[in-house]
Amino acid sequence: MLTVLLLAVNAVAGGVYQEPEAFIADVFGDKIPKPEVIWPDARLKQSLADILGHAYASLRIRYWRRNATTAWVLDEVGKEQPITTGIVVTDGKIERLRILVFRESRGGEVRHDFFTEQFDQARLLPDHELDRHIDNISGATLSVHAVSRLARVALLLDQQVRSQQAAR
Amino acid sequence: MTGRKPSRFTAFLWHRRAGLAAIILVIILAVTGLMLNHTEELGLDETFIESPMLLNWYGLEPQGEIVSYAAGEHSVSQWDRQVFLDNRPLSTGSQQLHGAVFAQQMIVAAFDSELLLLTPDGELIDRVPTGQSFSTIRRIGVKYQRPVVETAGPLYYMADEHILDWDVTLDDGVVWSQPSAPDAERTETLRRAFRGNGLSLERVLLDLHSGRIFGTYGPYLMDAAAVALLWLGGSGLWVWWSRRRKLKHKRHYRKHHRV
Repeated sequence: MLTVLLLAVNAVAGGVYQEPEAFIADVFGDKIPKPEVIWPDARLKQSLADILGHAYASLRIRYWRRNATTAWVLDEVGKEQPITTGIVVTDGKIERLRILVFRESRGGEVRHDFFTEQFDQARLLPDHELDRHIDNISGATLSVHAVSRLARVALLLDQQVRSQQAAR
Repeated sequence: MTGRKPSRFTAFLWHRRAGLAAIILVIILAVTGLMLNHTEELGLDETFIESPMLLNWYGLEPQGEIVSYAAGEHSVSQWDRQVFLDNRPLSTGSQQLHGAVFAQQMIVAAFDSELLLLTPDGELIDRVPTGQSFSTIRRIGVKYQRPVVETAGPLYYMADEHILDWDVTLDDGVVWSQPSAPDAERTETLRRAFRGNGLSLERVLLDLHSGRIFGTYGPYLMDAAAVALLWLGGSGLWVWWSRRRKLKHKRHYRKHHRV
């Protein structure tokens, strides 16, 4: 089936707060590990779809890993445009979450630290929910939900990577 | 000749004039309003306009030339920011397409600073940004079954087997992706695909209702129609009330001055 894509390159209404590459460089310093990819199997695809409410947009997902830390740059649509979010997971807990590119015309408040810091040290429960409540921001509900979904996706993907590593 | 004095019938005359002047716009307002109240039942959001005149009016005619590249048995094209795989619209973006190849069982389309990896069925495998790895891409080719890009440098980079990492290479032996001009039939197919489901009947009715379909000043035209409606209501009430008063006077006169 033909996938409808949104390149959304340069079509940024909100702003680029940090280039994804710069985010990865921030996380790993000068020695950025080579990107790796995960090809979700049917089960993982279903879990991702359960979290997102739709199938994940691409067949493979890139990430960067060093020891117990994985970094993810993921997109999810808030209302109409994808929100690009950088998420670092260490030992199964979110170490850092940053809004990198916000393209929506409203809801940009999610970029602020008071919101993103709520995800610090968040874990994924067995039912694929976060282990904490994320406070909503009035007027930015869809963006809040989109970022929360991405946090869950990153934690789930990190789980997958760690289980693959353990199996080797 | 009615023998009426015009000054005493101003409200009636303007009531009539406003009614005649606004009748078309009021009909548009009423009919579109009625239809929009039943969008789902009428399937307005699922009915799409195919009239070339209306599509052109809405600017759904693609601008510029088609750029097309063969990638194995498929082709990747771009027309007015719309990217197509074969004849199917894929995505929109402001980056320019610089070529497409079939390598590592994937279709790799190269844009200014991004590679789009697709399955032959058009499913997105990955979007690989290249801005950090090298400067703007000029063209893409294949060497040893792997994608090679020429950058503005000019430098040449060959991808690894997963198309994740790049190494500098030489340009000898690279088979570069070549642009081709589609024939008239394919151009028409792409034009239809470009327009696609781009204009719903609901959109047209909404724009008719608001007047936006008539351009920048269209909403003011519909504002005038709305004002005319208000005027018709007010003047109609006034005409009714003044006639009623007049009739009362007439009855009173007849009653008390009967011969």
